[in-house]
Amino acid sequence: MWRPCGTFDETYEKDMAIVRTPLRWAVLTASLVLTVLLPVILPYYFISFINNLAITVILVMGLQIVSGYCGQISFGQAAFMAVGAYSAAIFTQKLGLSFWLALPLSGIFTGLFGLIGGAPSLRIKGFYLAVATIAVHFVTMWLILHLEITGRSHGLMVEPPSLAGFSFDTDERMFYIIMPVMILMTYGARNLVRTKVGRAFVAVRDNDLAAQVMGINLFYYKLLAFFISCFYAGVAGCLWAHLTLVAHFEQFTLLHALWYIGMLIVGGMGSVPGVFFGVILIRILDELVMVVSPVLAAWFPWLGSAPAAGLGVTAFGLVLALFLIWEPRGLAHRWEILKASLRLYPFAH
Amino acid sequence: MEGFLQLLMLGLMEGGLYAIVAAAIVLVFKSTHVVSLAHGQIMGFGALAFWIGVVQLKLPLALALIGSLAFSAAMGWLIERAAMRPLIGQPLFASFLNTFAVFLVLDGIFQLILKGESYSFSAYLPKGNVSVGDFTLPITQLVSFLGSLLVFLGLALFYRWTKLGLGMRATAEDHQLAQSTGISVRGVFSAIWVLSSATATFAGLALANVTDIYYTLPYMGIKGLVVALVGGLESLPGALLAGLLLGVLENVSAGYLDPLVGGGIKEVAAYVLLLFVLLVKPYGLFGLVRIERI
Repeated sequence: MWRPCGTFDETYEKDMAIVRTPLRWAVLTASLVLTVLLPVILPYYFISFINNLAITVILVMGLQIVSGYCGQISFGQAAFMAVGAYSAAIFTQKLGLSFWLALPLSGIFTGLFGLIGGAPSLRIKGFYLAVATIAVHFVTMWLILHLEITGRSHGLMVEPPSLAGFSFDTDERMFYIIMPVMILMTYGARNLVRTKVGRAFVAVRDNDLAAQVMGINLFYYKLLAFFISCFYAGVAGCLWAHLTLVAHFEQFTLLHALWYIGMLIVGGMGSVPGVFFGVILIRILDELVMVVSPVLAAWFPWLGSAPAAGLGVTAFGLVLALFLIWEPRGLAHRWEILKASLRLYPFAH
Repeated sequence: MEGFLQLLMLGLMEGGLYAIVAAAIVLVFKSTHVVSLAHGQIMGFGALAFWIGVVQLKLPLALALIGSLAFSAAMGWLIERAAMRPLIGQPLFASFLNTFAVFLVLDGIFQLILKGESYSFSAYLPKGNVSVGDFTLPITQLVSFLGSLLVFLGLALFYRWTKLGLGMRATAEDHQLAQSTGISVRGVFSAIWVLSSATATFAGLALANVTDIYYTLPYMGIKGLVVALVGGLESLPGALLAGLLLGVLENVSAGYLDPLVGGGIKEVAAYVLLLFVLLVKPYGLFGLVRIERI
């Protein structure tokens, strides 16, 4: 575990603590209080944006665990989120379970589904696995479109969650469900990656043969990574379905899955804060394109009436290519460099 | 059984097109060990260039063909220069992801150009049907199919008889050994992107002939990837065989299973096949089995 010099931990608990210094406690408390107050301070537009961000963070956090830490690149995350959304809709609308029960249940169901999706990882890796997960995506979406229980092409309508008569039917109210779940899931991921399981994941990522020689059960850990990642995707899907009040297959295309992988690359593979950086940067880029494209369309009429979709994809691809070429370790790496140089401020090294 | 034979013929025709998309991907993988998603877009742009040549500029077919090949070759060269070369020496996976970044950039441009419409040049091609025994086939499809076989033959001859082809085969074996015998590995990389882009253009033309130029055309590149994986990423004959197999499988399964499950089998047959093949033979039907060391 890396520490800056001058750090003296006198007890084991102190050494293992996630929040280590009084300053960090202060920042954490302040930001938590601020988070609770956000819906009061900010206008509606920002709250719905933040809700969207938080759900994406949960989803990409799952992807970070399977791809960033365990090294199994998965293009199936959008399909797994779809499974989560649809299973949540079925749990609450068709079986009449409460939202609070459906939230973990859809996570577990998606996790079990992910075990099937992750099964090819036992035989193949690298590009082969990446393309196999694309295949899993298409097969899953096909099943969703052709099974009776998922409402086929109509999707499923979802009622907003409620607690003791209080209905969470606006974005501001959903914020108070989504945010705690996101914080809890982030805390879980942050802890998971520094346990025995997390170290095993990293060993599998770095060299799976060597990991096997060291006595790591590849079968168990690869499937566990897929299970955890899909659990995250399922929870994200459940929240998404209850936020948008519909589970519809068009919300989960292959392009979405590509965006999630892109967020991971931009943020930094194998870093929990990196997830936040990637998601926030790409989402802001997306919003910027939405704002800029009508202006561009007015200036350059040959672009057509609605260039947003094309421009968004192009901008995203460009950002991704630039990151891969010049900053392959992502924004998380930049962040570490920034922190180190601030700590050493008057000196260069 | 006549229905079956008709499906078989249709499948073979379509399979020929899949095979040639896969051939472009296999070409790149053989020499650079990078799996390319970008070739789907090159297909789309090549077909678009041909459309502009034939429909808008009213060029003769041969000239338009040469023009679109030159355009896509230049595009392939540019992609290699701008996106792939800076990543030489980085992990291969970064290059793979970069081809998908290139795919996204081009996808946006492609959508901007098309503006949601679809373009067709099939009206400008010779029309008519050919009767072979009991069935009739559109002549354009037959030409596409024979053309794709010719491209395969051409590639085989190129690899076998030319010096550049020899260099490419040597590079495929081992980059450092090839360089030590005086082959410019970077030159080979450039050449291979140019060659594979031209191949992808043939595929794009043949596909656009059947399905029109629409924004979904580049996504056929993913199907090409599936074919390449089923056949084995190093093997051109594997690509041909897997392409034909897949075309036949799609059409036959669609013909027999669609009435039972209510349609849409054609969209997933390829992916189900891929999952099965990868579970049984992880390196595809004709791929090289790699021996790994720690």
